[in-house]
This record gives sequence, C-alpha cells and structure tokens, in this order.
Amino acid sequence: MDRVVVVDHLVKNFEVNEKGRGLAGTLSSLISPKKRIVQALKEISFSVKKGELVGFIGPNGAGKTTTLKILSGILYPTSGFVQVAGYTPWERKEDFLKQISLIMGQKNQLWWDLPAIETFELNRAIYEIPERIYKRSLDELVTLLDVEDILTVPVRRLSLGQRMRMELIAALLHRPEVIFLDEPTIGLDLVAQKTVRDFINDYNRKNEATILLTSHNMDDVAGLAKRVVVIDEGSIIFDGKLEELIGHFAKEKEIKVFFKDGADYKKLEGIGKVKKVKHPEVIISVPRHEAAAAAGKILENFQVEDLTITEESLDDIIRKVFQGKLGKV
Amino acid sequence: MRKYFTVFKISFQQEFAYKLNFIMWRVRNVLQIFLIFFLWDAVFSRPDAIVFGYDKAKILTYIFGVMLVRALVFSARSVDVPGEISEGNLTNYILKPMGYFKYWFVRDLSSKALNFAFSIVEFAILFFLLKPPFFWQTSLLFLILFLLSLAIANYLVFVIRFIVSFITFWIPELAWGAQFLFMMIITEFLSGSVFPLDILPIALQKVFYMTPFPYLLFFPLQVYLGKLPLNVIFEGITISIIWSLVLTVFMKIVWAKGLIEYRAEGR
Repeated sequence: MDRVVVVDHLVKNFEVNEKGRGLAGTLSSLISPKKRIVQALKEISFSVKKGELVGFIGPNGAGKTTTLKILSGILYPTSGFVQVAGYTPWERKEDFLKQISLIMGQKNQLWWDLPAIETFELNRAIYEIPERIYKRSLDELVTLLDVEDILTVPVRRLSLGQRMRMELIAALLHRPEVIFLDEPTIGLDLVAQKTVRDFINDYNRKNEATILLTSHNMDDVAGLAKRVVVIDEGSIIFDGKLEELIGHFAKEKEIKVFFKDGADYKKLEGIGKVKKVKHPEVIISVPRHEAAAAAGKILENFQVEDLTITEESLDDIIRKVFQGKLGKV
Repeated sequence: MRKYFTVFKISFQQEFAYKLNFIMWRVRNVLQIFLIFFLWDAVFSRPDAIVFGYDKAKILTYIFGVMLVRALVFSARSVDVPGEISEGNLTNYILKPMGYFKYWFVRDLSSKALNFAFSIVEFAILFFLLKPPFFWQTSLLFLILFLLSLAIANYLVFVIRFIVSFITFWIPELAWGAQFLFMMIITEFLSGSVFPLDILPIALQKVFYMTPFPYLLFFPLQVYLGKLPLNVIFEGITISIIWSLVLTVFMKIVWAKGLIEYRAEGR
C-alpha cells in the first residue's frame, strides 16, 4: 500500500544519571552514580499515507521529538519496527537520506558566517542535485518565501524569521518526500509564523510530500494538520481527525445563559462550574451527559432570556493537550 | 568526489570569516617561535657546541621545522567535533548523505592549506630577520621519505583526534577537557614539539618509538635532518602505518557505538 511511514510497537528507553541537589548531591553522584531508565516511548504504533500532513501534539516531554528523531534515523529505537519510505531509518542509507528532511526550529544547519546561498550550494553538492533541478527548486522556494534580496547577506545578520525561511530552503532543496518538522514556528512573530505555515501547506499540496509535524503552537495545529496524533507520557492517546478531538476528549459542555433580571448566581454553583460572569450573561460548564438536565434546572429556577448549549472549543481541548491535562482514555 | 570539493571551498571561505582572529593567532605563533629560538640560541652561545648530538644549525633547523610541520599536522577544523556532539549539532551531519570522516578530513585539509601557506610566509620573514644557520636536506630519497612520513603524521593526528573527541558521546561534559588534555599536552609533548625526543634516555626513547606519538612530529623531522639510518626510517614508517590501520578500525568501532549512545540533545 502507499503507507510511507509505518511504526509498530516502537519502544525507546533512555538511561539517565540522577544527580541529587546541590554540592552534596553532585559529590554523591560521583561516587555512586544512580541510573534510572526513562521510558520515552511505550510501544507506539501508527502509520502515515503518502501526502498526509499529520500533527503530533502533546505536553512537553511526551515523546514527540523522540519519535521524529527515530523516524529520521538519528536515534536508535530500543525495540519495535519502523519503516520510512521503505527504509529502516537508523541504517541511514544514502538513498533514504536523500528522500527525507528533518527541520528543527531550534537547530540550524546554515553556515553562520556565510551567506545562506553558500549553504544551499553545499547542499546541492552533498545531495547531488542536478544543476537544472537545483535552479528550479531554488527559484521556486526563494520566490515562495520571498528572500531574494537577502540571499547574499551573512546568516548571522538575518533576523530569526528570515533565518527560519532560509533553513526551510536549505532543508527542501533536494525535494524530500518525507519531511519531519519539529516546532517550525518556535520563536517567530505572528507574521513570520503565518508565512511559514502557508508555505508548509503549499509545499504539502504541490509536492504531495508527506509531512509529520510537532508544535506547541495552537495555530500550527489547527491551520495545518487534518489528522492529529496525541502523545502523552510515551503513549498515543488519540489518533484521528482534528475535529474528532472534541468528541473524544471533551468531557464537558458549556451552557451560556442570558438572564432576564438580577438573578442570584450563587445558586448556579450547585448546577455546574461557573466559568464566566458578565451580567446578564453567565457561562457554566457541566459534564456532557448532564447538560440537558442542567439546562432544565436552570430554566426551572431562573428567569431566563436565552440559553444555548455548546461544545468546549477546539482551542480549549488543544490547550489541555499541551498541558497534559487529558489523562488516559 | 565533487561534494567534498564543495566542502573544501566553503570551508576555506569560512576560515576567512574571522580575519582578525586568524591574524592574531598567527602572531601568537610567531612570538612562540621567537621565544624558543632565543632560548636555544642562548644554549648554543659557543658556536662549536654540540648538545645531545645537535649542533646549532641542526637544532635551529629543528625549531623551524617544528614550526612548519606543526602548522601542517596539528592545525585542524575538527577541534569543533566534541562541542558539536555535546550540543547535538552532530544531527546536521548524520542526516546528510555524505561521509562524516571524509567531510572532516576535507575541512581539516582546507584549514591546513591556509595555515601552511601563512607559515611559509612567516618562515621566510623570520628566516630573513634571524638569519639562522640552516640545514638543507639535499638527498631526494630522504625528501621523499620525509613527505611520506608527513602524510602519515597528518592521518594519525586526524584519527587520534576523533577517537578522543568521541569520548563526548559518553561524557558530554568532558567535550573540551579531554581534547585539551590529550591533544595539547600529551600529544604535543610526546610528539617532540617542545624539545627533540632524542635528548631523553635511550630506554625511554625505545618505548616512545612503539607508540604513535613520535610519528606525529619528531620522526618526520628526524627523517628530514638525516639523523636516522634508512633501516630505522623504514621500521618507523612500518610502525606508524600499522598504528594508522589499528586506530582507524578502533575509531570506526567507537563511532558506531557512540552513535547508539547519541541523544541528539540540545532542546
């Protein structure tokens, strides 16, 4: 089938040296180092089809970046099966490396003291990109990202946003079929974020490239990924369409009430959690299955002008995902 | 091969990025030579004195030789490797379809080419200023053997440096410490950079000759100065080639094991 990425029961354990607090802790860790095994990934499985754009989300330390690092071949797994574009990533065959790209928002491959165009030339040689194709790709990327006039400026003089755009070009000149993006918009201002996001969308559509992306940016997730994989503490707790996140995780509904006159809001406490009071509008949240009953109670006990029941917003859900507040399902 | 030629070009440009820095470093080199020159000049204040089998011409040739050979053998860009491993920048290299060791060998080569070119100029200036008695090797055979031993020396330093650098995979905090201790102190000292090794007791010299270190600097210079008989030269070349092979295998094993340890940290 056309599954570009296949991950089956992938496990990654790290050994960490524990160090106690302060000088005493440092000294005792020198004499008898304590080792602890951290399970970064606990038997995760998923697959990605050609041309898909998948967002990996989860709180810090959930295992998102570790997954990308294993898929791109920089880390060896502890156990499990992984195949990317038909290759085992950590064997790092040249043909595999020519088909992938890993872009990290916090790491740069550009030569700091030289203009970005020099790094591009170097990558052309390293990836053995034919002159004609190189010229076409470069022209296209430079136009899309609007960097013509800064190509010959030393990288260290570029702003973060400009540099990130150059990083994208350097990473995509060889037209990879599978792209791993780790926090591509980190540290960028809103305009630059949008440029990068639009570009990724464009690139995905035009080149049928398969893209896996991690982000802590709400807009990245909502604006890019149609499918999301939620990782928490090394396990996948959700894998499906972005819209389905709500049905899956939302445990509460919100009731928005407009009161006719000055009602005693205190009495609402017994019905649900009061989230916002802005007279005459009050929002309370209640468990999903009690929503109808709660609405009934409100209508019975108060003078109500209007009442609506809504789902928690996607933003709220994603925010909870980032904070690791969803728990196991 | 073309990719490595491009690496050479970009690396050469990079060397020029910090011009002032580079010039200061060269000035330091020259001052160092002055210091050693006047030290030995004082030792040989009587023109006919011979110390440890060296007359004034040969010891001064040795000093100028050290300056040139050091510039060639010890200058390297791969001093950055431990830092790149501990900071997680190694990721950039192993993601690319290119040979890691070939890449750094070429980068070292470009650094050596630049440093050597400057050394020649400095050498000419110092030679003109100090007008030292100088020993010119005229035998073609010895010159060829000198160049051969020089090539081996360059390769040996490269391999040793990488083995030491790879300690970083296991002890990231040691990134610079290990390299400094090993390369600067042990390697340079044992290679004859500070004083010619043949002023040491014979027994100690014999032990030294079984290690790779004299072949980095001292041995090539001895070959140039014609201080060694042919059979000793061939013996030395054989030992240094054996070390090159053994250490290459060792380096590759350590690299493969290190990559398994590598965590691509830094975020």
